[in-house]
Order: sequence, then C-alpha cells, then structure tokens
Amino acid sequence: MFYRIPKFNYYRASTLNEALDLVSSLNDFKVLAGGTDLVIDLKVRRYTVKNVVDISRIKELDYIADDGDRVRIGALTKLQSIADSPIIREKAPVLADAVREMASWQIRNVATIGGNLCNASPAADTAPPLYVLNATLRLVSKEGEREVPITEFFLGPRKTALRSRELLKEIVIPHEPDCGASFLKLGRRNSFTLSVVAVATLVKVDKNKFADVRIALNSVAPTPVRARKAEECLKGKEISLNNITEAAKLVLHDISPISDVRASAEYRKDMSVVLTRDSLIKSLERVGIKV
Amino acid sequence: MIRFIFGRRNYYPSSGEIMASIEDPYVLIDKWLRAKEFIVVGKGVARTDAFEKALGKAKYVEDYFQSGILFIKQVLSTEPHARIKGINVEEALRKPKVVRVITASDIPGENQVGYALPDQPLLAEGKVRFHGEVVALVVAEDIDAALEASESVRINYEPLPHILDPLEALQRKDVLVHEEVGSNIAFRTRIRKGNVEEGFSKADVIVENEYRTHHQDHLYLEPEGALAIPGLDGRLTVITAAQYPHLAQSIIARVLGVPASDIKVIVPYMGGGFGGKDDEGPLTAAKAALTAYLTGRPSFILYTREESMRTHPKREATIIKYKSGAARDGKLTAIDVTIIHDTGAYANRGPFILWRATVHASGPYHVPHAKVDGYCVYTNKVYQGSFRGFGNPSVQFAAEAQMDELARKLGMDPVEFRLRNMLRPGLTTITNQLLDHSVGIADAVEQLAKVSGWYSKRREYGVSTGRFRRGIGIGVAWHGISTSRGVPDWSNAYIKIDKDGSVTAFTGIVEMGQGSPTSSHRQIVAEVLGAPIEKIKVTFGTSDAPDGGATHASRGTSIGAIGVLVAAAKIRERLNKLASELLNCSPDEVVIREGKVYVRGDVERSITWEELIKHAYSRGVDLSATGYFFLPKGKFDDTVGQGQAYPAFSYVAMIAEVEVDTETGKVRVLKVWPALAAGRIINPQQVEGQIEGAAVQGMGYVLMEQLVFDDKGRLLNPDLTDYVVPTALDVPEIAKPVYVEDLFKYGPFGAKGVGEMALIPAPAAIANAVSHALGVRITKLPITPEAVYFEVKKHGLIK
Repeated sequence: MFYRIPKFNYYRASTLNEALDLVSSLNDFKVLAGGTDLVIDLKVRRYTVKNVVDISRIKELDYIADDGDRVRIGALTKLQSIADSPIIREKAPVLADAVREMASWQIRNVATIGGNLCNASPAADTAPPLYVLNATLRLVSKEGEREVPITEFFLGPRKTALRSRELLKEIVIPHEPDCGASFLKLGRRNSFTLSVVAVATLVKVDKNKFADVRIALNSVAPTPVRARKAEECLKGKEISLNNITEAAKLVLHDISPISDVRASAEYRKDMSVVLTRDSLIKSLERVGIKV
Repeated sequence: MIRFIFGRRNYYPSSGEIMASIEDPYVLIDKWLRAKEFIVVGKGVARTDAFEKALGKAKYVEDYFQSGILFIKQVLSTEPHARIKGINVEEALRKPKVVRVITASDIPGENQVGYALPDQPLLAEGKVRFHGEVVALVVAEDIDAALEASESVRINYEPLPHILDPLEALQRKDVLVHEEVGSNIAFRTRIRKGNVEEGFSKADVIVENEYRTHHQDHLYLEPEGALAIPGLDGRLTVITAAQYPHLAQSIIARVLGVPASDIKVIVPYMGGGFGGKDDEGPLTAAKAALTAYLTGRPSFILYTREESMRTHPKREATIIKYKSGAARDGKLTAIDVTIIHDTGAYANRGPFILWRATVHASGPYHVPHAKVDGYCVYTNKVYQGSFRGFGNPSVQFAAEAQMDELARKLGMDPVEFRLRNMLRPGLTTITNQLLDHSVGIADAVEQLAKVSGWYSKRREYGVSTGRFRRGIGIGVAWHGISTSRGVPDWSNAYIKIDKDGSVTAFTGIVEMGQGSPTSSHRQIVAEVLGAPIEKIKVTFGTSDAPDGGATHASRGTSIGAIGVLVAAAKIRERLNKLASELLNCSPDEVVIREGKVYVRGDVERSITWEELIKHAYSRGVDLSATGYFFLPKGKFDDTVGQGQAYPAFSYVAMIAEVEVDTETGKVRVLKVWPALAAGRIINPQQVEGQIEGAAVQGMGYVLMEQLVFDDKGRLLNPDLTDYVVPTALDVPEIAKPVYVEDLFKYGPFGAKGVGEMALIPAPAAIANAVSHALGVRITKLPITPEAVYFEVKKHGLIK
C-alpha cells in the first residue's frame, strides 16, 4: 500500500451552477467537498477516477437557516459550524451532540455535513440523528430538484441515491418542538474515533405513553438503519424500564453487523441493544421523564 | 582497576599526593554523591528546548530535507514466508526520474544487522520472513517518482508454509523461520535458585495461571527518517532519528564495509523513540547511507506511518505460565515461571528482552526458591524489539496478578502481602544478587497506600453488583539499571570551557522528548562547575562525542550523565586548585556558585567565573576533559541465571482506581497514583513529565492498543484510524508522584533511571483494579471494552 495520490484532472466550481455544469459534462469523477474522506480514499485507491470536481469554495451551500418550522443546512456547512450553531442547538440538539463527538476540531473545521452523508460510510455519525429527525435531502441537477427522505438516501457502503449528475444541496430538518432526542456513541476511545456502534433515539410522549419513537443506528449494517421493529413495539406503550428494555432487544431485527478490526459482530449486536436502551432513557430525560 | 571505597570520605588514590588534582571517577562520583546543598540539582529548571518546541522552531530530520535530494522508497514483502526467486527491476528503472533500485546484492559490506544474533539482513536476501519485510529500495529524483516506481518492482516469490503462533512454532521442526537454527527457538534463558519442589511443599496456598500479553506499536509522532550526505566534513554524514549515534555509525560502517571513522552521525531533535528508534534508527540510517554511498548523492528516506508500523519492531507479545506459592504467614515460598516471547521474524534484541523478563520475573520480592525458563520464539510476523519497559511490563503484569491471587487466598490485603515480601537492603533477588543499598520500594509503597486511600477503598470497592463497578489495584515493579548481567556498560562525555567562560558538553545521549541533555545534563554540569547555568551548552546526539552508550534503558541521565559529571568534576578539581592559589585558601574552601568564585565563609575574597577562566588560560590549566566511567559488574552464570544481574534497580509502584461499565465493558481509569524510588530526582519537572507520559502510554497499551494480523501475518491496522491510542480525553487524573530518593552509589548525584518506570506497573495496576471491580481475574491483555464485556458475560456478572 503506497500512499501516492494518483493523477487526475482537477476542476473547481465557484457556484452551484458551475458545479452542475461540470458534473453534467464530465464522466468518471468524484466530488471534493471537505476532502477529509476523499483525499485519503484516493490515496489508498478506494476510488480511481479521472476527474475531481472541487465544490469546497461554493459559498452559497454553506449556511444554517431557520425557517421556523424547519431548519435547512447547506451541504457544504462545516461540521464545526453545526456543533457551534445556536439554531441547531435549539432545534436539533441531537445533531449537535453527534457532530461534537466526530473526529477532531481540526477535521470538523474542514469536513462538511454533505460530505459525511454522500461518502455513505456505514459509520457516518451525522446519519442516526438525521434519521430520527426525519430529515429530507434536497438533491439538485440541471433537470431540477427533488427531495429524498434520508432513510432512502443510503443504498449500501459508499452507495447513495444520488444520480450521477446530481449533487446534494441541502438537508431539511422539520422542527418538532415536543420531543426528546439523544445520541450515544461507543468507540474505542473517548474522542476522535470511529463508532463501533452509535445510536440516536427520539421520543414523543403523551400521558406517560410513547406517542412516537424513532431509533437509528450506524456501523451495524451496510447503511445506517432505522430500528422499525423496536419503534413499533414501543409506540402507544406505557413508559417503563421494562418496556424499553424489551423493545431495545428488537433492534436485532433491523441490524446485520459484521466482524472487523474494530469489533466483532456479536459485540456490536449486544451493544446495539444496550445503547438503544440507554439512549431511549436519555431521550425521555430530555422531556423531563425519569424511568 | 577498581579503587572505589564506599563509605570513606576524602579518599585520595595512593598516587594522589603527586597528582595535580583528582581524576579518579570513583572518587569524583562519590564526592558529589555526598553533596548536601544544591544550586540547581533537584530543581525544576526549564529545559533549553522548551521554547523552540513550543514555537514549532525545533528541527527534526525531515526539516533538513531540501529539493534536489534523492528520495528513497522501500519495497515491502507481500508474503509472510517465501523464497525470493528473483527481483525484476527493469520496469521500475524505466520509470521517469528513477536513479537506482537497490537490493541485497548491491550491499558493499555486510548485509547483517542483527543486534543480539547474526540472523537479520538489512535488505531481504534469499527469503522473506514476514509480510512487510524490506526487500528493495527504489531511489528517484523526487518522492512521487520513487513512490510510483516502487510499485513496479516485481518480486518473484516461492511461498513457503508460515507460522504465526509461537506455541505452534515451538513444537514444529518442519517449518523453520531460520533453517540454520534447526528449530524456531532463537534463544533460551533460565534461572535456578534453591529448590522449587521444596519451596512448593512449604506453601499453604498455590496459584497457577497462564497470562497473555500483546504487541504494542511505539507510534512516535515522528516516523523513522534519515538524510545521508556524502563528503560533508570529509566523511559520510548521516542526520537520523536513532537513539544511539555510535551504534548507527557502526551499523552503517558494517553495511558499507568502511571504517567507522568515515561515518559521522548526527541525531537532531527526535519526535519520540520509546526504544523503537533504538532498533530501527540505525537501520533507517544505513538505508540512507547505502543509497548515498552507491549514488554519490545526498539521499533521504522517510517512512510513512503505514510503512513504519509494518516494518519496525514491536513490544513483545508473550505467553507467561506462572505458578507461585506462599505460606500462611504471608511469605512467598517459590515461583515456577515459563516465559514465551513471540519474537517474530528476527531475534533483534529479543534475547536481551527475554533476559530482562527472566531476571525480573519475581517482581520486587524476595523468593527463596525460583525456577524460570524463557523462550524467544521465531514466527513469521513483524519482529519484536525494544519498547519502554523492555520485556518487563508483561512479566510484572503476570507477577502482580499472582500476588493479588495469593493475597486473596490467604485472606490478606494485597498491599500488606506485598510489603511482607518486598525486597529490602540485605535481601537477595531470584538471581541471588545481594541488594546492599538503594532499595527504597517498601517505603514508597507504604506512602503510596496512604496518599491514595488504599485500605478503605480496597474494602469499599469490589462488592457492587450494579452496572458501574469501582475497583482499585496496585502494581509494583522493579527495573534493573544498565545492561543485564556482565554485559559491559559505560558512560563518557567531553567538556570544554571556552575563553569567555562558556561551557560545552558533548554527549552521544540524544534528545527524543525526554529532555536529559537539555535539562539534567546541563544542571549536573552547572552544579559541578559552579558556572552560571546560562553558560552551559549541551551538544547532544553526535557520534563526534565520545561513545557513552545509547539513550535507552532509562539510562539517559542515570548512566548517560555520569560522563558529564565526571568530566565536569575533573575540571572543577583543577579550578579549585587554581582558585585556591588566586584567593589564597585551600582547594576545599573554594566555592564556585552562579558565576562567583569565593572563599567559604568570606564572600568578599572573590573573583568572577570569567576571571577564573582567563587565569586558567594564562596559567596553563587544562579546561577540557572526558568523563569515562566503566560501570563495575559482578559475576553472572548464564546456565543457572545466578549472580549479579544489574548494578542497581529502580523501583516503581502505581495504584489505579477504575470504574467498569459492566454493560458495555468500558473501563474508565479515574485516577492513578505513581511512586518512584529511582534515586536522586535531578529535575522534578522532567521526572513528572516522564511519569505522566509513561502512565498514559501504559494505560493505552492495557485498554485500547492492539495490532491485528490476518492469517498471512499481514498487519490489518497499520494506521491511525484503526490503531487506537489515548487522546487527551482518555487521560485520567495523575497524582503528584511519591518520591523516595534511595541514592545509587554510581549514579550522578545518586540518580537511577526514570524513563521507562511508570509504564512498567501500569498493566498490572489497571488489570488488578479491573479484576478487583469485577471479582474476576484478568489474565489477558488488552482489556478492551469488548474483552471486558465478554468476560462479564462469561461469568454471568450481569443479567
């Protein structure tokens, strides 16, 4: 394994339109946003491409907008901006929680949220919170725009629903005021590490019952996943430690972890259950309920 | 000629009456050992490189690279064990800007770089013995060209069956890593003290366990690098990251087949060594030197992180079978230990590492009957080598687990049990070495138990059945100073004082972050000469200094600084004599302090340091000296492992408090308390830094670091993504160390070694704390969350 970055043609877009022109005229390309994944992947030859389209300087895709009932995050928004944003902290705190634990300060100041999603790593830490927030992704091409729910965006490791001429423009997060959400990550150390398992949960409560429950995990399947079985099991049920514990076990129906250098499949399975339960308890705490 | 008499003052050699001043190192070392007041020794004097490093201005090997210098890229084996049928370099040579491809057959001298045994080539010859072994060097005009061409070197391998498991390797004769050896055992050690059968017959409790410890990568911030410049200064000069410039010099000379005097080695600031650059440094230097020699051009090599991790030697992985017995009165009666070191493809320093593990197998305790057998076993993996602790952390982990288990069976507190058996002056080690002085460990452990609140916490913790369980554990360890057994060890340095009164000390000791040349050496010279400390410059890491040994084995100050002490002390004697004539007093009455030279009790009768130096130049006083000191060693019989193992031992203890999350297996180290009995503390600030760094490196080793190999012995995580080391957020609170200054008679001002110390008991302390928290004995490292979780599950500790 020799780490020489292979030769490629380099194109730089300074506006979204320029970028769309480039991606519709070029073949065999990769899009460079923050580059914290792509540059390494080119060096280790995960990808060999003729062309690289650098979109990192497109200012118009770097924003966090508060529209009242929803928050929109431009695809080129840096992770650190998300962690620091008062809007995110108020309206989607679970995303800020996840982002704060990602990588290091230096990398968070280069890496973008769009890059984290489009790279489509099964371990993407922005995915579980966006899953439970019911985020949608706005994809754009010269033909126009379309919206895809985030749960339909990931197709497999490094594979997304993006068409070849499409770019991710923004992430739209509906604002849901009466919910509690939390993110828990188990890594091999306390910071700057890839998830062995990470879980985000979101709960809505009505008279000591679960009105709505959303659970998402990463690193335990080819893509980040929603744990639908466990969610369904809790909906309408009374809030109790026993119900939470039993439901958490059902995440196993929606995950299919592998063994690798970071952890065994068996450990990941067991930890998915533990973290789901812990995260549900924490989410409930955030709406003032102690179980 | 040994003329040391310990315990007598003002001793002059018989020829002393006719000598101008004292030059005998024994007398000088002893004289300064007895100093009662200090000017700079024992103080937290800031190191000279502090600002340069904080500002990013300090230069490392890579900083001397300039364009136009040839770049060297290594071609690594993709087979764990194979015959090399041929190496086709044609395609690589046709690539643009490629200057040369170097293989074993190009080596003009000896292709032999094994340190302990002659089993290791610089470039693979005949066969490769691990996945990652260096087969060829591609030399090109720039880095990109070298990288590209390195992929075009075609090596024709005939694969051979390979062995990865050391236990399998021990048994098999049909698959041999080194055919010429006749087995896969590279080296054996043994200790026979007393009669273990008799010892065990007197035991009321016996504990028998098998322990396993794993590899560790040094992961120094600066990977290996070297720049070789032919012809500079009339020699081949190599700027490199190596822990022993003179060793690099002799390895280069051997590989090139030239006299050592044709080679100059300079070691600038180094970004960490930890032993790894003691082994790999000279080899890195030799590759750059070989290229420069063959091309006649300045040549540069710099390992990538992946290359570094795949090629350089690792901390040994071990299997330790340990049986020990104790009587009801709490006294150890016998130990029977088998130590197996997986040395990988080459012996490297494996035999020395095994000797250290063997001799330290008991822990710092008195054991009347001991039997220890050590095996250094070849396998087809990256080879083992020097790493902070040098075979000792693994065996202390095993020994200390045994101590806890014996204490449990006896119903005794673990600290109490240890204190009953602890080495003290007048007792013998398992090699039957009588310890006559400098044994401060019992005092250190007693103090440590107090400051950590050991006794109450030990009772309070370890009984919880909840999710989060606390535990407290202790690790006590010892570490021999200098080389083991009769292996010669010495110190040396050269000091000169220029006409303006500025002082330069030249030493081969390097600065790799530990700070000995930039702090303790300077303090020692300033203390002994009495010159203002600002006037002291230490030029380190150069083969032009007298050979004073390596910067390893915690010897940078303990042994390394004896040379500067003796050289400075010789000059001081001459200056005292001169000053006594100038001030009209006896030499004993001369005080030189911070630039002022005066008569004791009469500060007015004085001259300045600068004036004194001027007088010395005009009156014919020699202001240059070397400080050679050959460390006296006793007899050691290798066949039974009995005799003097080391001139003295440093001692260290650590108490760790942990919290285990039984549902995830995650261990949080809440706080550690270190204690050190390492003789005089020359610079408390530096010692604290060493202790903290070692404690964290030890914690990383125990809790998260591990190398993962596939079934071909290929390293699967040779990178910073998947080889996980602690970050600032993983570091526990580290208490102020307890110091017991148990002076060592040959150490500079009585100092013993520090650098490795706090790492050595860390695995034991943390593993014992986790075992205490869970009530389950941990016998295998690392204690990753996953490992702990399955241990918890196996023992049904949670529902």
